[in-house]
Amino acid sequence: MKSAIRSLRRMKAVFIARNLEYLRDRASFGWNLVFPVLIVFALAVVFSGPPKALFTVTTIGQEALPELVKFPGVQSLEADRTKALERLSRQQTDLVLEVSEQSVNYWVNGNSAAGAILETLLQYTEDRPLERGETDGQAIRYVDWVVPGILGMNMMYSALWGVGYVVVRYRQSGYLRRLKATPLTKFEFLSAQVLSRLLVTLTASSIVFIGTNLILDYKMVGSIALLVLIALMGGLAMITLGLAIACRTESKEFADGLLNAVTFPMLLLSGVWFSLDGSPQWVQTIAQLLPLTHVLEAARAVMLDNAGLTDIALHLAVLVGFCIVGMGVSLKLFKW
Amino acid sequence: MTETILAVRGLRKSYDDVVAVDGLDFEIESGQCFGLLGPNGAGKSTTLALLEGMELPTSGSVTYRGGALPADYQDRVGIQFQATALQDYLTPFDNLKLFSSFYDDPISMDRLIEQFRLGEFLHRDARRLSGGQRQRLLLALALVHNPEIVFLDEPTTGLDPRSRRDLWDVVTDLKADGRTLILTTHYMEEAEVLCDQLVILSHGQTLLQGTPKALIEDAGVVDLDTLFLSLTGESLVTTQEVIE
Repeated sequence: MKSAIRSLRRMKAVFIARNLEYLRDRASFGWNLVFPVLIVFALAVVFSGPPKALFTVTTIGQEALPELVKFPGVQSLEADRTKALERLSRQQTDLVLEVSEQSVNYWVNGNSAAGAILETLLQYTEDRPLERGETDGQAIRYVDWVVPGILGMNMMYSALWGVGYVVVRYRQSGYLRRLKATPLTKFEFLSAQVLSRLLVTLTASSIVFIGTNLILDYKMVGSIALLVLIALMGGLAMITLGLAIACRTESKEFADGLLNAVTFPMLLLSGVWFSLDGSPQWVQTIAQLLPLTHVLEAARAVMLDNAGLTDIALHLAVLVGFCIVGMGVSLKLFKW
Repeated sequence: MTETILAVRGLRKSYDDVVAVDGLDFEIESGQCFGLLGPNGAGKSTTLALLEGMELPTSGSVTYRGGALPADYQDRVGIQFQATALQDYLTPFDNLKLFSSFYDDPISMDRLIEQFRLGEFLHRDARRLSGGQRQRLLLALALVHNPEIVFLDEPTTGLDPRSRRDLWDVVTDLKADGRTLILTTHYMEEAEVLCDQLVILSHGQTLLQGTPKALIEDAGVVDLDTLFLSLTGESLVTTQEVIE
């Protein structure tokens, strides 16, 4: 008990010291808040016009497709049924087709004018029996879709660089060696770094989330508590990943390279800016190996589709796995 | 009656093909100021790291009061590293508070602030301290838990003469408190003033060992620098340092 209290006292001291360092570094602190807000507003302005006059059809399977999908101005992509209907309810696609040699099943969104046009065209051009299904759901603006991406991206940079780069800087400057000469343990030091950065990440994300929502009023239909849970688990997963990268690295330049090697694929493949629905399967498989993908898929499910805990449980489980592996590797390999 | 607090037997440390410390044997008495002297690359800092318990020897041993270094050895020693960065944006006050919290029974901050005259720059960003102020802060941090052994790795390197003298006063006070001090330096004058016992190192090995006075008298020279020059053909103080 006494030793646990002692440990908590040391962790608290390192936690406070790290927070002071961060808060007094006004340039970094300000940038962490200002940068994502600027991006959200820039995108809101750039993509604020009416949606493009282009029909999109999502097909479940690729065989015996109707003539409709070959019409000029119709773009088609393939997805599984769950994904396709999810896209339809968000009006990210106008029509969903599931085709066999004998019949055509199709779904439209009752709120979509484009869907109604495509439905009429399908009825005129298709000879096979048609089976109709309908979903509802309002169209999602790009800004609604991209906000979770930007918040996640900001969290990723803040978590990975704020811990990974800082720990390497401490090591290179000899500060870690100084701490090694005290009774502070690896676990206490690393835990304090994780908690300090988690506080910073969650606070910054909350401020950006609330601030931009007041002005842009983007879609948020799900539970705030679940969103906080996702941010918590996502933040932890990426902070521990940053620690694992920094646990033995001695050079800031090398740390730069490693951090870029981790952040760049997430930036491209985790769905920050655009959906990977139409991309090859192998790309989507790689994306599932990245923590940011799970953060964003879970966050969008909550924010846009009112998903519950069970709907995002798998994503949370993957993030917990990342945390355990990241912290385990850090504790095992950490060098002062 | 003095007691051997640290003893070194056949101490050796190598990094790949480089032998930094090559078979050292000496003992350090409790309450003594023990100096490790030598030019850059002589193995002073590596020897100090082995004595501090920060590094493990390749072979040989360091014993504390006749036994292995205890698990709570870090609680018993205070270390002032030659080059230590502190966290950016923290003041001496923040640093004292941080380091105090690592220990169960730290010295009161007021006493440290007074003893090391930190008051005038207590709330200044530690990166903006002068060399002497910074060394005083680092020494205060090393002593925050009232250790019985204090390691000082070239504490006056890079300081102006005034700051160097100030630090000598602080070290003299620590000696008067009865602490065991182990310091490295390449300033012979400093070693003569502060140290009770010296080991002069060259290429990781002991060249000479004894009290400053005995070493000078036995060699029939005027000071330690002349002695070192006569032994190795090189001065401990570089030309650049003479200019400074």
